[in-house]
Amino acid sequence: MKKPDTNLSPVERIKARSDFLRGTLVASLADSATGALAEDDTQLSKFHGFYQQDNRDLREDRRRRLLEPDYQFMIRARVPGGVCTPGQWLKLDEIARLWANGTLRLTTRQAFQLHGVLKRDLKNSIRAINDSLLDTIAACGDVNRNVMSSAVPEHSALHREVHDLARAVSSHLTPRTTAYHEIWLSDGGPRQRVAGSAVPDAEPLYGPVYLPRKFKMAFAVPPRNDVDVFAHDLGFIAIADKNVLAGFNVTVGGGMGMTQADPATYPRLAEVIGFCKPEQVLAVSEAVLTLQRDYGDRTNRKHARLKYTIDDRGLDWFRAEFERRLGDSLAAARPWEFSDNGDRYGWQEGDDGLWHLGLFIENGRIADHPGAEHLSGLREIAKRLEGEIRLTPNQNLVLANVPPAQRADIDALVRAHGLDGFRQASPLRLHAMACVGLPTCGLAMAESERYLPELVGRIEASMAGHGLGREAITIRMTGCPNGCARPYLAEIGLVGKGPGLYDLFLGAAFDGARLNRKYRESVRENDVLDLLDELFGAFVSDRKTGEHFGDYLLRAGFLDDCAAPGPGRDVPL
Amino acid sequence: MLHELKTEASPLSERQIDCLQQGLDQLDPSQTAWLSGYLAGRLAADRPAAVPTPDVTVLQVLYASQTGHGEALAAGLAETATAAGFSVRARNVLDLRPAEIRRLEYAVFVISTHGEGDPPDDAIDLFDYLQSGRRPALDGLKFSVLALGDRSYEQFCAAGRNLEDLLLACGAQAFAPRVECDVDYDQDAAQWSEQVIAHVRENQVGPDSGAETQRRPAHLSVVSSAPAWGRSRPFPATVERLQRITGPDSTKEVYHIELSLEDSGLHYEPGDALGVWAPNALESVEALLAVLNIDPATSVEVDDGEFTIRELLIHHRELTRLAPETIKGFAALGRDDSLQRRLDACDEKDLRRFIEERQFIDLVEAFPATVTAADLAGLLRPLTPRSYSIASSQAAVDAQVHLTVVTKIDQAPGGRRYGLASHYLNNRLQTGDEVGVFLEPNRRFRLPEDRSTPLILIATGTGIAPYRAFLQQLEEEGQSPRTWLIFGNPHLRSDFLYQREWLRWRKNGFVQRIDGAFSRDQEAKHYVQDVVRARAPDICEWLDAGARIYLCGALAMGDAVETALRQAVAGQRGLDQQAANTFMSDLRRDRRLLKDLY
Ligand code: SRM
Ligand SMILES: Cc1cc2nc3c(=O)[nH]c(=O)nc-3n(C[C@H](O)[C@H](O)[C@H](O)COP(=O)(O)OP(=O)(O)OC[C@H]3O[C@@H](n4cnc5c(N)ncnc54)[C@H](O)[C@@H]3O)c2cc1C
Ligand SMILES: Cc1cc2nc3c(=O)[nH]c(=O)nc-3n(C[C@H](O)[C@H](O)[C@H](O)COP(=O)(O)O)c2cc1C
Ligand code: SF4
Repeated sequence: MKKPDTNLSPVERIKARSDFLRGTLVASLADSATGALAEDDTQLSKFHGFYQQDNRDLREDRRRRLLEPDYQFMIRARVPGGVCTPGQWLKLDEIARLWANGTLRLTTRQAFQLHGVLKRDLKNSIRAINDSLLDTIAACGDVNRNVMSSAVPEHSALHREVHDLARAVSSHLTPRTTAYHEIWLSDGGPRQRVAGSAVPDAEPLYGPVYLPRKFKMAFAVPPRNDVDVFAHDLGFIAIADKNVLAGFNVTVGGGMGMTQADPATYPRLAEVIGFCKPEQVLAVSEAVLTLQRDYGDRTNRKHARLKYTIDDRGLDWFRAEFERRLGDSLAAARPWEFSDNGDRYGWQEGDDGLWHLGLFIENGRIADHPGAEHLSGLREIAKRLEGEIRLTPNQNLVLANVPPAQRADIDALVRAHGLDGFRQASPLRLHAMACVGLPTCGLAMAESERYLPELVGRIEASMAGHGLGREAITIRMTGCPNGCARPYLAEIGLVGKGPGLYDLFLGAAFDGARLNRKYRESVRENDVLDLLDELFGAFVSDRKTGEHFGDYLLRAGFLDDCAAPGPGRDVPL
Repeated sequence: MLHELKTEASPLSERQIDCLQQGLDQLDPSQTAWLSGYLAGRLAADRPAAVPTPDVTVLQVLYASQTGHGEALAAGLAETATAAGFSVRARNVLDLRPAEIRRLEYAVFVISTHGEGDPPDDAIDLFDYLQSGRRPALDGLKFSVLALGDRSYEQFCAAGRNLEDLLLACGAQAFAPRVECDVDYDQDAAQWSEQVIAHVRENQVGPDSGAETQRRPAHLSVVSSAPAWGRSRPFPATVERLQRITGPDSTKEVYHIELSLEDSGLHYEPGDALGVWAPNALESVEALLAVLNIDPATSVEVDDGEFTIRELLIHHRELTRLAPETIKGFAALGRDDSLQRRLDACDEKDLRRFIEERQFIDLVEAFPATVTAADLAGLLRPLTPRSYSIASSQAAVDAQVHLTVVTKIDQAPGGRRYGLASHYLNNRLQTGDEVGVFLEPNRRFRLPEDRSTPLILIATGTGIAPYRAFLQQLEEEGQSPRTWLIFGNPHLRSDFLYQREWLRWRKNGFVQRIDGAFSRDQEAKHYVQDVVRARAPDICEWLDAGARIYLCGALAMGDAVETALRQAVAGQRGLDQQAANTFMSDLRRDRRLLKDLY
């Protein structure tokens, strides 16, 4: 039930007095003395799709110069299901060069991020994103986030159907406040007024204080678990009968984030609670979302995700309350099978005769470097592409629905701009993922995106020494325990703790259906390399045919002394 | 002796006079003299004060000064004259009412030139009056002008010359020829003073005699205990902190500098400036001498003694600021006539540009000449100190003084050239080094006595320095008048000087409002004057509430902001041009529009 007001977390109060997310954003934008927003507005800005950050590399230097931190903004553009048009790509590319730091960042939730946007350029950038028919509202904040959907199912029709549903849920759960339009898209005119008083805003679904915390959804199409369906508050596993969509197994209560040294927080795998028909997807989503809206913990943001609501009250309670809201009960879950949670690279033919090209984008960062002009290359490709561009859940790209006749052209452009890295990269690198981390992420405690590529190089050498050069192992790194690169679902997970210091997690399932366990605390690079080298040695000599590294470590007992991450289960069901 | 004050006209009550008498009786003559000087000094400091109309038959020493040199000279002259037995006081021309001007009999004017040949701000009204339709007949006035200036400016001493012309046109007579002083004005000014005093003595100006001076010491106007440290005896201040305060990608290199005045006994007020003596760099001097083929150890004799040429150039001569004389003299020594021909082809404007783009080394490198050490000593102007607005309040920093200095960097034909003092301070000095400094008080740029007066502080670039001093002072005093900072520079991200401090003051209520005009942060350039124009209603509202406006920074900004202010007021109040001009000059006269431009 709702807690008394006095215990509400500060963010709850900010939301409550924000007048449907307006706060003092307009005044903050106009304040010419600082590159920052007023403090409360930095919470509200998230709902509008952007975060206030500062370049942490420069913090100390600027303090000495008596300058404020190098305030800048990260804008996240929602791409429901990860599908965008070449035209949209070109727009984002233009914004990145005009107003951001000249790079585009593909996220682990199939969205775009722009970094380094100055306050003065926010409005232009957000407008331009909306002009492209993408948007930023609810890309962050206590709302339903970008809805994910498997990037390339083998069956094109199935993909389209699931993707359409993802889009439908996304727009169904988009906040309705007019503040977004008013602040970013109109020409500064005041809020619409009728007979002297402002038209009252309303959020039929969310209410005036929105959700207690972020809410995440994903659609997975087996055998691919690229979306890591068990990491989400609400998940849908597509069940097809002979390539025709029959419905979905529904999963609830997944989440990655935990807080350093706070055992009350933990990563948790979602649980499968039943099967629903495609036409029930909206209703199921709404029921879970409003349940969490009403029962989620609004006093403690570290404990406010659906996973804690479920663990606190029990799955039975959850199921009852959920079914009450749905006015129905779910059918029994159907069997499914996942093969992996990674991406496919190279050309693949869809069942409709069109082709998909999976491209490896290391850590999702698209920039121009000598010999690897990825940003320019993708711009050239987008100008010509007769198909669509898909952002994958692993920060990579798929050039999708390419007519066979265009393949050669695309190949040439890919080669010319060094986008064919997937051909040479080791399977380890192709299965690596790092969150953004330093210097922009305000929560990072260690390097991530800027460091993992180097570390992978050293691990590659170690693996090669054991003849494991072609072995696919998932490795993920984050700069803090929040888990943005879903590190607890990697066979090797490295979670930042301090400069150069990581907790080493091992033993997740290759298909994302089992969490890893903390193998060693506070290790430095040398320790990581030594520990892994030893384990690779054991793996090579003892593994069963086809056995994955994570499964092996578990079976061989290396993880026996390692505690499971929390009260939640580390395997689904 | 105070009984003559017991008159109808006296502003003092009988009781007050008796109290004063009691106190004064206990003083010896030198104490009395000191006290009178002190009182006069205080009178000059507290304005606007109701100064009793002086005896107009006495010689009047009038000054119009911007950076304080002229003011100090005028005070010195008054002191000398008084010591010589005359009743003389130095007054700012700003305090002269038209009626007084019409009644002037003997007056000397010390006036400097600023802007581009303009008089100091305090003299604007006087100039306007003298050339207006109601300009006075000054047939009864005998005067002389001491003009201060700097030969490196195009319009050398123009204000002094113009003042003389205006006075002559009103029928006044010059009793001694005008003297124009360059930056090394000490000798010229002393000679002129002697001349003035001799003239006054010959003509027995005024009723005073030596005996009377003894009797009426209240006419002394200057505190006689001269400070130990000064322009010619700078205090060696230790550099305690040197911190660049613009971002790494800024086009401007601005440093925050903290110097120690420990044990100097020096005391400054927010608004004052610091004079800094910067020596030329040994390497630059040696490079120059090498090009000229002069042995650095060559000894030369000049007015102040004998030096090696190396030493003379480092400590006593200007190498970075060229004067026309220097160029002409150098051209005459040319091995060919290339420089001379170049100069002949120059009109005044071209010459100006020629000078601004070059330092002496650029001449020497471009035009071959045969120059001896003695030639050099004569060609180059004496070294002058540079002024920097003080960016701190002693209430906050005790014995420190803070400066905000931007390195002057120019692209000369021979490469990058640095300004002498700014480069010395920012780049050549290191913490622990000593630098010779002296105070340059600036009474025209102080916080209002009434601390509740709203303040509009407008600055560009390093012009923000004195405002930091103001805010430190107000914060220490716990005063928070309504304060509005309007600050301009190229980029918010790298060029908002002391941004953290300003934001803190805003957060803590010492500053109500900050408008940044960051000119290059958007396509259309946006300057402080644009803020003034865009915020015209607010500006007027603040003015109605009694606000004082301060302007500090670049000269051009000052003009632009004044224009914008005039337009803002005219627009908001529906004033015609005439009325708007009057409004502006009233603001100036009431010291509600204060400027410190350079
Ligand atoms: C960009 C992205 C990582 C990436 O490398 O791609 C990212 C980046 C950030 N995440 Fe995340 N998260 C991203 C996916 C995730 C995921 C993965 C996922 O959703 O599948 C998780 C784990 C799943 C989960 O939510 O449990 C995740 C869990 C968090 C958390 C912990 C939330 C929790 O309830 O435990 C935070 C911190 C918070 O919300 O307080 C966080 C906060 C952040 C912030 C916004 C930092 C902040 O709050 O100031 C990071 C911005 C860094 C930067 O400079 O760009 N991010 N974040 C991903 C953007 C996804 C998107 O497009 O929306
Ligand atoms: C009251 C007052 C307050 C000031 N406050 C500050 C302050 O707070 N911060 C600050 O940074 N500055 C301040 N200044 C300016 C400062 O005094 C110096 O003028 C400035 O630092 C440049 O001096 P410099 O010795 O570095 O350069 P200089 O050596 O004097 O100049 C070198 C170059 O300037 C060029 N030049 C341009 N105009 C001329 C000219 N007319 N004649 C000759 N050469 C010219 C030449 O190319 C020459 O190479 C203030 C000035 C005044 C009058
Ligand atoms: C910003 C500025 C502009 C100046 N312009 C001129 C000028 O145009 N002509 C001139 O002869 N001197 C000019 N000078 C030099 C001053 O007149 C000279 O420094 C003088 O000694 C100042 O005297 P004061 O302190 O009494 O004002 C200028 C000085 C400054 C700071
Ligand atoms: S995991 Fe931590 S460091 Fe990495 S992006 Fe997320 S919040 Fe930042």
